[in-house]
Amino acid sequence: MIKFLIKGVLRDRSRSLFPVLTVTAGVLLTVVGFSWINGIQSNWVEVTAKYNTGHLRVMSRAYADEVDQSPNDLAYIGVNQLLDNLRQDFPELTWTSRVKFGGLLDIPDEKGETKVQGPCMGMAVDLLSEDSPEKDILNLRDSILRGRLPEESGEILITEDFAQRLGISMGETATLISATMYGSMAIANFTVTGTIRFGVTAMDRSTILADITDIQQVLNMENAAGEVLGFFKTNLYDNEQAEEIAERFNSKYSDKEDEFSPFTGTLLKQSGMEDILGMVDIYGEVIIIVFIVVMSIVLWNAGLMGSLRRYGEIGVRLAIGEDKGHLYRSLITESLIIGFIGSIIGTALGLLVSYYLQETGINIAFMMQNSTLMMSDTFRADVNAVSHYIGFIPGLAATFLGSLFSGLGIYKRKTSQLMKELET
Amino acid sequence: MKHMTYILLFLLILMMTAGLTGQEQFPKGEWILEKLDENYGSDNKIMVATMIIHGRRGSREVTSKTWVKGDDQSFTEYLAPPREKGTKMLKLGDQLWMYSPSTDRTIQISGHMLRQSVMGSDLSYEDMMEDPKLQNMYSAQVTGEELYMDRPCWVLELTSIKEDIAYHSRKIWVDKERFVTLKEDRFARGGKLLKTTEVKNVEKMDNRWVPTHALFKDVLKSGKGTEFVVDSMVFNAEIPDYIFTKAALRR
Amino acid sequence: MTLFKLAFRNLIGAGLRTWLNVVVLSFSFVVIIWMQGVLKGMNNQAVTSLVDAEYAGGQYWHKSYDPYDPLSLQDAHGRPPEELTDMIEKGRATPVLIIQGTAYPEGRMTTLLIKGIDPDQKIISLPSYFLKEETEELPAVIGNRMSESTGLKAGDTVTLRWRDANGTFDARDALIVQVMRTTVQSIDQGQIWIPLEKLRELSNMKEEATLLVVDKNILDPPKASGWEFKSLDFLIKDITQLVKTKTSGSSIFYVILLLLAMLAIFDTQILSIFRRKKEIGTLMAMGFTRAKVIRLFTIEGAMHAVLAALVAALYGIPFLTWFAKTGWPLPESMDSYGFAIGEKIFPVYSAGLVVGTTLLILVVTTLVSFLPTRKIAKLKPTDALRGKTS
Repeated sequence: MIKFLIKGVLRDRSRSLFPVLTVTAGVLLTVVGFSWINGIQSNWVEVTAKYNTGHLRVMSRAYADEVDQSPNDLAYIGVNQLLDNLRQDFPELTWTSRVKFGGLLDIPDEKGETKVQGPCMGMAVDLLSEDSPEKDILNLRDSILRGRLPEESGEILITEDFAQRLGISMGETATLISATMYGSMAIANFTVTGTIRFGVTAMDRSTILADITDIQQVLNMENAAGEVLGFFKTNLYDNEQAEEIAERFNSKYSDKEDEFSPFTGTLLKQSGMEDILGMVDIYGEVIIIVFIVVMSIVLWNAGLMGSLRRYGEIGVRLAIGEDKGHLYRSLITESLIIGFIGSIIGTALGLLVSYYLQETGINIAFMMQNSTLMMSDTFRADVNAVSHYIGFIPGLAATFLGSLFSGLGIYKRKTSQLMKELET
Repeated sequence: MKHMTYILLFLLILMMTAGLTGQEQFPKGEWILEKLDENYGSDNKIMVATMIIHGRRGSREVTSKTWVKGDDQSFTEYLAPPREKGTKMLKLGDQLWMYSPSTDRTIQISGHMLRQSVMGSDLSYEDMMEDPKLQNMYSAQVTGEELYMDRPCWVLELTSIKEDIAYHSRKIWVDKERFVTLKEDRFARGGKLLKTTEVKNVEKMDNRWVPTHALFKDVLKSGKGTEFVVDSMVFNAEIPDYIFTKAALRR
Repeated sequence: MTLFKLAFRNLIGAGLRTWLNVVVLSFSFVVIIWMQGVLKGMNNQAVTSLVDAEYAGGQYWHKSYDPYDPLSLQDAHGRPPEELTDMIEKGRATPVLIIQGTAYPEGRMTTLLIKGIDPDQKIISLPSYFLKEETEELPAVIGNRMSESTGLKAGDTVTLRWRDANGTFDARDALIVQVMRTTVQSIDQGQIWIPLEKLRELSNMKEEATLLVVDKNILDPPKASGWEFKSLDFLIKDITQLVKTKTSGSSIFYVILLLLAMLAIFDTQILSIFRRKKEIGTLMAMGFTRAKVIRLFTIEGAMHAVLAALVAALYGIPFLTWFAKTGWPLPESMDSYGFAIGEKIFPVYSAGLVVGTTLLILVVTTLVSFLPTRKIAKLKPTDALRGKTS
């Protein structure tokens, strides 16, 4: 029977094409909509991830306890081995180390005495390695305002506002006065090669960006780092996965008794954004549910319309003597087949579009005036396991319910009327 | 009537004498401060000292040689460890400069930088720069006697006489014979104990008593504090004037 | 009879079918507007919370105050002039005094800002009334992030140290009377709140303040010498940029929703034409030109949208208004840290959104109604009459 119906559906294009197209369209929209909303949380946390916590962050336990102060005296020692371990055990993430520091930036005059001085915050990342992921993570290439990226050891970037306040030009020397990991004074000369803008006033005030190897040497932090950040290679933050990875790492490498053993925390827990992200998550879920409900209603309606369309055909079949129950069931089966085909095609197309939106994302840079580091100008969708079947909910269920109800009309038909209808 | 006046006068004198006798038990606080300052002396000194800084991850030693002129001029050169070697500091009055040979830079340390800790120790630059003459900052009163490190000491309570003194009050234990402060507590305005100095060893150098080993501690922080050890001290030293100039930093 | 009347009659005549379609389309209307409102509200939430918790209607800053330079705090305090004290007395503004200090939770040293606020103030949502508690130590309130990073919980005592106006050290013990839960990091991280009068007394800064927060409904903030008024726009500049970016990202969802509405209309139209082939044939046989028939069906389609809009307005407006007023509260799903400052998402429906969506749907519907009618053009009346598909 089913075979017959399938043949019927496939061959009679005019009858079935349209309903299938409708279901396909509806399912496609559902899959894309879902994946897009899924991407919302990721988009929200992107900035925090890039500049602060990564998707996962590894620090010594002692450093983690006071992380707001960036206490380099408590930094993790042995970071080279740590990076090796991380890259081997968790290859689904990109791992990179960073050092955060503070100090004074002192600009010398010709005599080597202070011309102007100002407190500064510093971030040291891998700027010089060929394959450093930081250039992409921080979107550095597109955000240089003046000058160029550091190419050699001893070169740094500073924020444009800072450069202007200090009255420093590209190529000038700036002396960093800070403290080594052991408390001694750390003083080192750097050459400013370029300026950048973060787009966040607090950071734009007085931040310098240096190469991590330089800073490790200046602060007596060889083979040490304040933090090691991990970023999912998919560019999307998945909290469940992150927690699982953190769990695995901590049980293998972390020791509660040793305050200098490494400890991994997830973005959610560390960013202080748990509340707001939890909120975004839940609201996102509600939006999706409502969306699916409405989409289901639309498809149900379509199913309804479809059945009503076949009023005449049903009349004929009843007149020939087809059993009402049989007719009803065949209608339902047909609608299931249509729903199924439509859902498959719709999901396939929907996933295609969603994957595109996930990998490439939508770049809204054209809407923004000045590109800054912090402005995430690319929005991404997030395709997960659910994206693969979510389309079936409205796709199958709705069409099924549609014909279920409209088919009931069959039972109301009076055989006596049938002949009359056929005459017209 | 006349009798009454005389009796009152007599009683008054009696009281005053009694008061005086009472006072006579303890010397005047200011007098002790003066003796302390005398012992410290206003002459030129050359001192080699080691600071042992106890941190959370271990201890470090930093050795330096300091030339002191009078009360407010000093020049320090760091001798060890290698990272610090060659770094120089110059204090003139209330100004402080630092020279770093690796960068060939002379940097003035001022304002908020002065409140930073020296080399990660429990002392701040401000602490190190303070006027060594306590009588310039505090009024003193002897409140008792105690034995400290087996030495009989006067216990004095100091209260700041100026508005802008960092530590509102201090309590010091002064060796009665040697006029060296063996212990010092520094307090905040509300009375909370902030920092303590405990002298572990005193030696006679050049006819003067010098605390050669002291432990300085920020009480509010946990940790073992910072030790100060005097390796050598020369009094009445011949120090050429050019040492106390910025140019000397770069030599 | 005009085409419109005829179209209308046809729609009504179709009875349930029409209403079903209209209701479905109206759902799309309401859902589109609602969802966009919620998404925008979500993005705006950061701004609204910030305003409620810290900025209210704007702030007056002491001329030396620089929020990004903690060193400026040494000088950034003074007595507000009469125009401002006037406002304070009337309850239209509240003073805040900020000094730099150090806290020693569990023997660790951590720098922070000590902020003094009037426990009775009603200008910002910060729960300052907890500071009214009578304690031996200094009563203090901190945020949940501060609580996490210092390990201090409600009931804990911590030593605070600072320097008064003359540079003299002072230190007291503070009792954390409450930990507040808020999404606003800037009233939470790196700071501790104590009663204003106590701070003034202890730091020797009688009657002084670093800044004044002004009531939300203030219309014309007066000029005051030595104090600069910072408007709300200025204060939230950074975040508004971020929000704008995020909102643009949400617009893709808008497109998806619009397509949803189109889908609803599209299948209705196609089916309608398909079913009514006979009717079309009849009309054409009766003298309707092809163009007229096309117009009729297009108008019918468009009318669906109009009716849908009306129906949507009927139940949509009360629902959306209620939702906008009540807001959507923050789910209390996280570990309880203490008192939560009421965080809600308030959907943002701009007039532009509503009007724009309505017009857009109308236009789109008309277009979508028109497209399938082109098929009619190809029909031969004779075939149509017979109910034949072309």
